[in-house]
Parts: sequence; C-alpha cells; structure tokens
Amino acid sequence: MKKYLFLFIAGLFLAVSLSAQLDRTRPPKPGPAPVINIGNYDMFTLSNGLKVIVVENHKTPVISWQLTLDVDPVMEGEAKGYVDLAGQLMRAGTRNRTKQAIDEEIDFIGASLSTFSTGLFGQSLTRHRDKLLSLMSDVLLNPVFPQEELDKVLTQSISALTASENDGNYIANNVISSVVYGKDHPYGEVVTKESLNNIKRDQLVGYYNTYFRPNAAYLVIVGDITTKEAKKLSKKYFSSWKKGDVPKHIYPTPQAPDANKVAFGSREGAVQSVLAVTYPINLKPGDPDAIKAGVMNSILGGGAFSGRLMQNLREDKAYTYGARSSLSSDRLVGSFSARTEVGNNVTDSALVEVLNEMNRMVKEKVDQPSLDLVKNFMNGSFARSLESPRTIANFALNIERYKLPKDYYATYLEKLAAVTVEDVYAMAGKYIRPENAWIVIAGNKDEVAPKLAGFSKNNEVLFFDSYGRKVEQSATDIPAGMTAERVIENYLKALGGSEKLKSVTEQVIKMSTEMQGMTLEMVSYHKMPGKILVTTSVGGNVMQKQVLNGDRGQVSAMGQKMELSGTQLEEMKTQARIFPELDYKSMGYEVSLTEIEAVEGKPAYKVKVTAPGGNSKTDFFDVASGLKVRTVASQQTQMGPMTVTASYSDYRETNGIKIPYAIKQSVGPQNIDLKVTAVEINGGISDDLFSLE
Amino acid sequence: MKNYLLNLLAIMLVLFHLPSMAQTGKIEFTEYKLDNGLHVILQPDNTTPNVIVSIMYHVGSKNELPERTGFAHFFEHLMFEGTANIPRGRFDKYVEEAGGTMNAGTFFDWTYYYVMLPSNQLELGLWLESERLLHPRVDSIGIATQKGVVTEEMKQTRDNRPYGRLLIETVSRAFTQHPYRWDVLGADPHIRNAADHEFKDFHDMFYVPDNAVLVISGDIHVEDTKRLVEKYFAEIPSGTKPIRRPLANEPKRTVEVRDTVYDNIQLPMVIQAYHIPGKGTPDFYAVEMLGSLLSRGQSSRLYRSLVDEQRLALEIAAQQLPLEHPGLSLIIGIPQIGIDPKVMEDALNKELEKVRTELISEQELEKLKNQFENRVVNSNTTIESRANNLAEFYTFFKDASLINHTLEKYLAVTREDIQRVANEYFRDNNRVVLYFMPKNQSN
Repeated sequence: MKKYLFLFIAGLFLAVSLSAQLDRTRPPKPGPAPVINIGNYDMFTLSNGLKVIVVENHKTPVISWQLTLDVDPVMEGEAKGYVDLAGQLMRAGTRNRTKQAIDEEIDFIGASLSTFSTGLFGQSLTRHRDKLLSLMSDVLLNPVFPQEELDKVLTQSISALTASENDGNYIANNVISSVVYGKDHPYGEVVTKESLNNIKRDQLVGYYNTYFRPNAAYLVIVGDITTKEAKKLSKKYFSSWKKGDVPKHIYPTPQAPDANKVAFGSREGAVQSVLAVTYPINLKPGDPDAIKAGVMNSILGGGAFSGRLMQNLREDKAYTYGARSSLSSDRLVGSFSARTEVGNNVTDSALVEVLNEMNRMVKEKVDQPSLDLVKNFMNGSFARSLESPRTIANFALNIERYKLPKDYYATYLEKLAAVTVEDVYAMAGKYIRPENAWIVIAGNKDEVAPKLAGFSKNNEVLFFDSYGRKVEQSATDIPAGMTAERVIENYLKALGGSEKLKSVTEQVIKMSTEMQGMTLEMVSYHKMPGKILVTTSVGGNVMQKQVLNGDRGQVSAMGQKMELSGTQLEEMKTQARIFPELDYKSMGYEVSLTEIEAVEGKPAYKVKVTAPGGNSKTDFFDVASGLKVRTVASQQTQMGPMTVTASYSDYRETNGIKIPYAIKQSVGPQNIDLKVTAVEINGGISDDLFSLE
Repeated sequence: MKNYLLNLLAIMLVLFHLPSMAQTGKIEFTEYKLDNGLHVILQPDNTTPNVIVSIMYHVGSKNELPERTGFAHFFEHLMFEGTANIPRGRFDKYVEEAGGTMNAGTFFDWTYYYVMLPSNQLELGLWLESERLLHPRVDSIGIATQKGVVTEEMKQTRDNRPYGRLLIETVSRAFTQHPYRWDVLGADPHIRNAADHEFKDFHDMFYVPDNAVLVISGDIHVEDTKRLVEKYFAEIPSGTKPIRRPLANEPKRTVEVRDTVYDNIQLPMVIQAYHIPGKGTPDFYAVEMLGSLLSRGQSSRLYRSLVDEQRLALEIAAQQLPLEHPGLSLIIGIPQIGIDPKVMEDALNKELEKVRTELISEQELEKLKNQFENRVVNSNTTIESRANNLAEFYTFFKDASLINHTLEKYLAVTREDIQRVANEYFRDNNRVVLYFMPKNQSN
C-alpha cells in the first residue's frame, strides 16, 4: 500500500518538473526518497538441532538450498588442504551412488550441486526439487570418500597449483596469508604440493565425521517455496542426520607489525606488480564500529569509483586500471587491505601514493560533501542488493550466526545516515595504520625489488616464493673487496690462467645430443681471429652449417643459404673469441657484481655483463671453484624476446685448459642436453674450412 | 585449489558475455522510436525501488580501422570524462552522490553503458546519458590520462595474466580479412597514436541516436518515463555520416592452422577454434547445445572422458563467442601436469569424432533441454540482466521480444541438428589449433 502512495507522489513530481524549461547545465533534482523494505524470513529448528531459515520469493520458479556449517577453522599443518578436499570429495561417491551417477543425475535435471568444507549448495527449478534434495541428502549423509577419487583430485590439485604458480594475484595472496596471519593461525596456512602429498583419506573422513553435524549447521532455503513446504521437505531429507559434539578452537590473534615491512613474492617476467598494503585488524561482524568504519573505508577506496585511491592512482596519475581498499570484519580476525596492479616502473611511486592516501585519512578530517557522497552511495548499494532474495537470506544467517540484534539490517540505513565527519576521523585513527603495515608485492624481482627497501623500517626486503615461503636470499654476503672484475679474473685463473688461454688460437669441440630419438652431432671450430664454423649433423649428414669469416657470416640448412646481417651477425661476432672474458676491458664491456645466488644449490656470483651496444647477459660463477656455471640471456625470436639459459658442468682438462663437458641449454620450452665427446686445442685447422660462397 | 578453474571461467564469462535468454514468466515491455531514430524500450518492474538506464551503441572493435585497433574501447573510457555541462571528474560523482553506480563494456560488436540508480533519480540517469550522446567533451589531460589507464588495463587483463592472451592470439590466426582479427583491447601504439580530433570523428559517426537503443528497466511509470525520455533525448540530432560497417567477408577456411605461442605460464593450454555462424541463427543454438553436451557439468562428455576417466586434462571447456558476424566456438583444455598436450588433444579429437559419427542419445538431448531451461530461467532475474538482454536483442535482431522466445529456439534443436552442426563446423580443416607453451620450462 505504501508503495502505491509513493508512486503517486513521484508521479506528481515528475509531472511538475516536466513543465519547466529544460536546463541542461545542472543535474535534475531527485524525487522524494523511495521507501526501502527489507523482506522477511522464517526460521525453525529440527529436532537434531539443524536451524532452517526460509526466504519466500516466487518471482522465478527456482529454489536454492544452502547448508552452512558454523564451525571454527581447523589447523591443518603438514597436510594443509585436506579440509578443502574433504568438502570437495563429498560429492565424489556415496554409499548409494558413484561419482558418475551423481554427476549424471544432477546434470540431467539442469541443476547445480557443490560441496565445500563448510557446507553444500544446490539449486534447481521448482519442479526438480525432490530429485535435488534426494541427491543433496545422500551426499551430505553418506559420503564414502573413495581413495581412487582422492588420488585423482590430488593430481588435479597439484596441476592446478602449478598453473597458478606464476599468477601475480595468487602469489600475492599466499604471501599475504603467511605474513599477515603467520603459521600459528589457520588463515596463515598455504596449500603446497608437499602438503597435498601428505594428505591421507583418514583425515578427510575424520573432518567430515567431526564437523558435519546438524547442531553446528544452518540450512538456508530461498525461492519459490512456502515455509510449510520447507518444513516438510527439510524434515524428510535432513532429520536423520545425527547430532555430535563439535570441538571449538581458539587461536592467538595476529597482530600488525611494529613498523612497516616489505614482503616480496617473485614472479618471472612480470610487467606489472600486484601491490597490497595490509594488516590484521580487530573487527568482528556486527561490531558497533562496523558501519562507521565501512563508511571510512569507502571514502578511502571502497566500492565507489570516487574513492580516493581510484581517483589518485587511476584518474590523476594513470598508474593503474583500478585501486581499492577493503576493511573486512571476521569472527577470528579481520583485515585491512589497499590493493592495486601497476606497471613495474611506477610500483614505488604507486606505493608512495597509497601510503599518502592512508596518511591523509588519518590526519585530515573528511569534508562533508565527500562523506555525503559515500553515504548516499552505500545507501544505494544496500537498496540494490535487496533485489536478490539471497541478500535477505544472508542477513538472516548473519543475525543468527553472529548473534546480531534482530533489527541490525532493518536499522542499517538509519545508522548509516547518522555517521558524522567525527566518526570517520575516529575510525581512520583506529583502523588505518600507514606505519604498521605489511607492504606485499608480487612482481618482477630484478626490476622492482631494489626500489622497495626504503619502504621498510629497517631497509630490508623479505623474499617469498609462490607459496608464501620465505626464501633466504643468500647464505653468504658478497665478501668485502670482491668485485665483478675479480670474479672474472678468478674464472680465467680457474680455467687455466690468462697466459695459457691467450695461447689458444684454435679450438675444436665435438658434442652430441639426443632429440626425438635421433642422435645429433655438433662440432664447433674456432680459429682466431674471427673464424667460426658450427656444423650439426644426423647420421653423418650435415643438416645445418653456420660460418663466420671476419665480417661476413652465413647459415645454410637443407640446401638453402642465408647471409647473416644486423643483430644476428653481430651476435655471431661476439662469439668469435674463444675466451671473450680475456678482452672484456679492451672491447668496452661493462661488468657488475649484483649478488650471490644459489645455482643448483651452490652459491654463485651473479655478474651482469653489458656489451657496448647495450645488450646484456648474466653469468653465474661458482663461489668455490670460480668456474662459470650458468649464463642467462634474452634472445629476439619470432615469438618475441625469449630467455636462453645455458648451464655448464663437468669441467675437464685438455692441454691444461678446463672445458665444460656437459652443457644444458633451454630456449623457451626446448631443453637440449649437450655432451662433449672430444676437444682439440691448437691442433691445426685449415682456413678453407671457413670459406664463404 | 579449484580456484584456477573459477578464475578462468570468470574471465570467459566477462569476455564472452553469455548470450541472453528469457525466463518462463513473460517479460512485459513497451518500445517505440523517437523522431531522431533513437529506439526506446521501457520495462517496468516495481518490486524494488531501483532503476537502470542503459544505452547500447551498435559499434564495437569490428568497426575500427586496422591502424586504430582498440579505439572503440578507448573511446568508451573517454565517455566518462565529461560533457559540455559536466566537468572532468564529475560524471561518476553525480551518479555516486545519488546512490547509484555505473559501468560500461565494449565488445567486438557493441558498446554498452549503464547507470543504476534509486528510482527517484531516474531523471539524473537520463540527463547523464543524453549529455554523453549530445555533446561529450574531453580535454587533452583526460585523453592522456585514459591512454595511461587503458595501457594498464591491457597489462592487467591481458598481457600480464597467465593465458590472458588467449583471445588475441586465437582471433589473429582465425581471421584473415574480417576485423574480428584484432581483439577488443587492441594495440597499445594505436591508442597512443590517436589524435584528439579522432575522438570527435568517432562520436559523429557512431554515437548518434539512430545507432543506439535506450533501455530503462525497473521501478518506473511508463507514461511519465516516456515524457522524460522525450525531454532529454528528442533534441539530439540524428547522424549525418554514413556509419562504417564491415562486411562479413571472412573467407571459408579450408585448411587447418596450427601454431605455438610461448607465454609466462606454468602449464600448457590447447585451444581449438572452429568457425561457426553468427549468433541468433538456428545453427548457433545447435552449436551452443553441442557445447553444453561437450563440457557443461561433470557428466559432460569431455569432462567425464578427459578429466575424470583418462585424467589427461586439468580442465576443459567449450565456449562460443556470441558474435554478430560468423564467429568462433572455442574448445580450451589445460593438460594435467606431465601430460603431453598432444595426447590430450588426440583424446579431445576422438570425442569430437564421436559426435560427428554417432547420434546423441534421447537421454542426452533431454538433459541438454533441462540445462538450457534452467539457464534461461536464471538469465532474466535482475533489472540489470533484463536491460542488457533487451538491448542486445534489439541491436542485433531488431526484435526485443526474443527475450520471451529464447527457450523455444533451444527446444527446437534436434539430435540430428547437433550431429549435423558437429559435421558442418567441427571439422579439422575448419579450425585453428593453438598451443600455449610455457616460456620457461625450468620447473
């Protein structure tokens, strides 16, 4: 009835406004605010303790059934992941049905049924509700967790983890979990391949038997159904579910760091960084602060596009496609997070702006129009959310689970309207901590990490792998006095000494490798100055030849010849020297020693070598032996730049000079293992060998 | 642990904007044209005091010039910059101050803008959308800023995301002539090189009332709303330039194309892209049902065979690109760790061979019909989805009433149709096969 009255008034208003001349320079005035009604719900409890919430809505012929466990999270330790798998595998077979039968029956009625560690969700058209319920109750009451299905899901999960390893958001989330919550809190545990391998079927069964109990669960029914029908059906399908004691768990509350710390998750080849400023907060659902703090967060960077982070980082600086903050309440421990994705070169600048906006929130009072905008925006979001009957159901569930006042949502808009500038200031002071935060970045380590140390109180960047495990940078620091030049000197010494190396004018190396069942023979001939020949043959037939003779180079393969030019020719020329390290200085190469990094578990000096033209590569020299163990370079290909990695091992002596007998090269997905079969030094090579056509 | 699948499907959903369908309850609406050619659809629903004002323009990336790829999407960003009466940075504030929210999307064939507001703010929505259509104004700061934002969007949603380049790498090989050969985000240098005057030219050609449909859904009174629409939109002049519309000129594919792409990913991905007819054709409905047969639900053929039984694939999905001109049906699979992608693809091809040679069972057809009924019923539950569906049906078929008839189209598909489209389109020589391989296989 009320609504008709409103429409009538709104209609009057529109008629009046129409008679006026159209003034495009100003926004039109709104009509009177509409009445916002929150729908009702019913609730009852079955004799086994299952609490049932019903929200009737007959707009579409669909009913959804959501079963939610109200249990404390569990520490999973070495076998992290088993709780999720217990949920996932509930629908992988019951005492009455195989997994395939369940899949078939669910799909046949066009319904959906998902199972989780904290409950079940099913949805179907009204006319299929009995079929859906019989499947749901079977899955809930009789799961058998077949070992075979567990094995299958474990393999899939390991594959899925592998696929995610190089996803910036995935890396950032794992690092956040481990630094913000720590390993003594269930939110700090991260699934790894190792933890998946520790999972045993008994753990799944144990979790199910302990926690899937009606006395610790809510059944939320939404849609085309009456409360009376809901009672009858929930009794029929769920009353045989047996009660049980469900253990409670209490965990120490994670604390924000004393001062800002920087945690870096490395992501190969990243061109953007995922950036988050985050820390735990103490904010429980329904806390008297919750609505006020939510308004404060919206001003900073909540849902509105007008949020300060979005306006600053996107609309003013164009650093990003989006920047937002969240302030979430949780029964155990809540969290604040300001987050964005930005280009490598502006990661530090973007971080400065995020911290600036957080500081401004704490130091300055918000102006009234900005506050009004956000309150209106939240009012509108609330009204829009009511279009879905599931919102009403979630309100009901929250009221019950978190013991909120019955009118918590009914009075939400009143409480929102009452939030003042002073409230926002107080909330910022309490919940925004620009000096007690974890600064988490997932991105390109070489390009981004060096610029971040200044953001941590103690000038330290902590490094993490894709799973949020701390990576110790290098067990050894670079010894005092050690320079790139010294590393190169030591390398030449280790090979046999500069004098000996300079005497080498000719070198022949024969190598072989297996490829697709064939044996490839490669021979490289070097003759100083400036002559190279590399032949590749299969079964004695030469498949490919590369020749360099002074200023010209040629490649021939399969009867076709190509004259080399440009960068390809230049690249080949750089390889003309048998030991180029001897002449780095005279050729104008620059070398710099960046750090000690482990190669195959052994510490190695990492030396960046830059040619006069700007091309660079990175060489790794074993700290103990001084020998070169790896080279990483970028090479232009038709697919764009690709990383070429060569690893050297099994050094053996010929004429007092050490040569690596095992070379492992990878370009993109291609791995080639070369084994040296013969080495000849200064044995006499005819110039004719290098003739060009 | 399953989040990867969800991520991937979420991307697909955003990109592919699942086709629209009707619910079983009939959707009532009124439609008419203004003198300037603007088509108007009013769809009252007074259950909650909210309203959506949306405009779909019949322009997308396929209307771009080859040296300005990505322009339609870039232009969409600029349309939030301001108008003759709305200064830079005010557009979103007006909406949010009123308690509303707004967004826009660009695809190959369309650009769609919407503002959602409390119903007492309907007039504000009409003012904002009519301002944009009448006289948008963008200064050089705005253009420079949005160039930067779009560059970051390209990285965030495409270039810096595992498998994010799936679509661009596929269409660039599948299409040789048609402008579907570039993706909606386009090329960064093209956007960077765009001169300020191109903005006006683009607006004058495409952002005209006779190339647009205005849809208002929600808590409205039809007669009052008609008067308001007249007030804000009637004065906007019709277009004067001929609208650039590409022909459906892609030659029929006769040989399979196979290629490999290297990317920053950990597991390979195999993509098969088959040429199919445009959306709305009878065969498109049959192809959609074939897609569901293959990959919707855990009992679907590809999931059961490749994921569940043979354990070759981590995930597998068949998905159609709903395009106005003949487009593509994609089958995307990620092999399990340690499985040769070729082995997975062979198994996939075997399943396709089966649908080509054997009729599907009555039981399977019944399942597909049930699945589509469920989907159709759930596709029009919000004013947002209804407005979007009405806009698309009008834009591409000039028939908004299709919103009430989609289910019939699916129910009309026979088992023979499914076998026929499998043979006609899911042939080896009608496809592009792409292997996405990890750049660095050190792991």
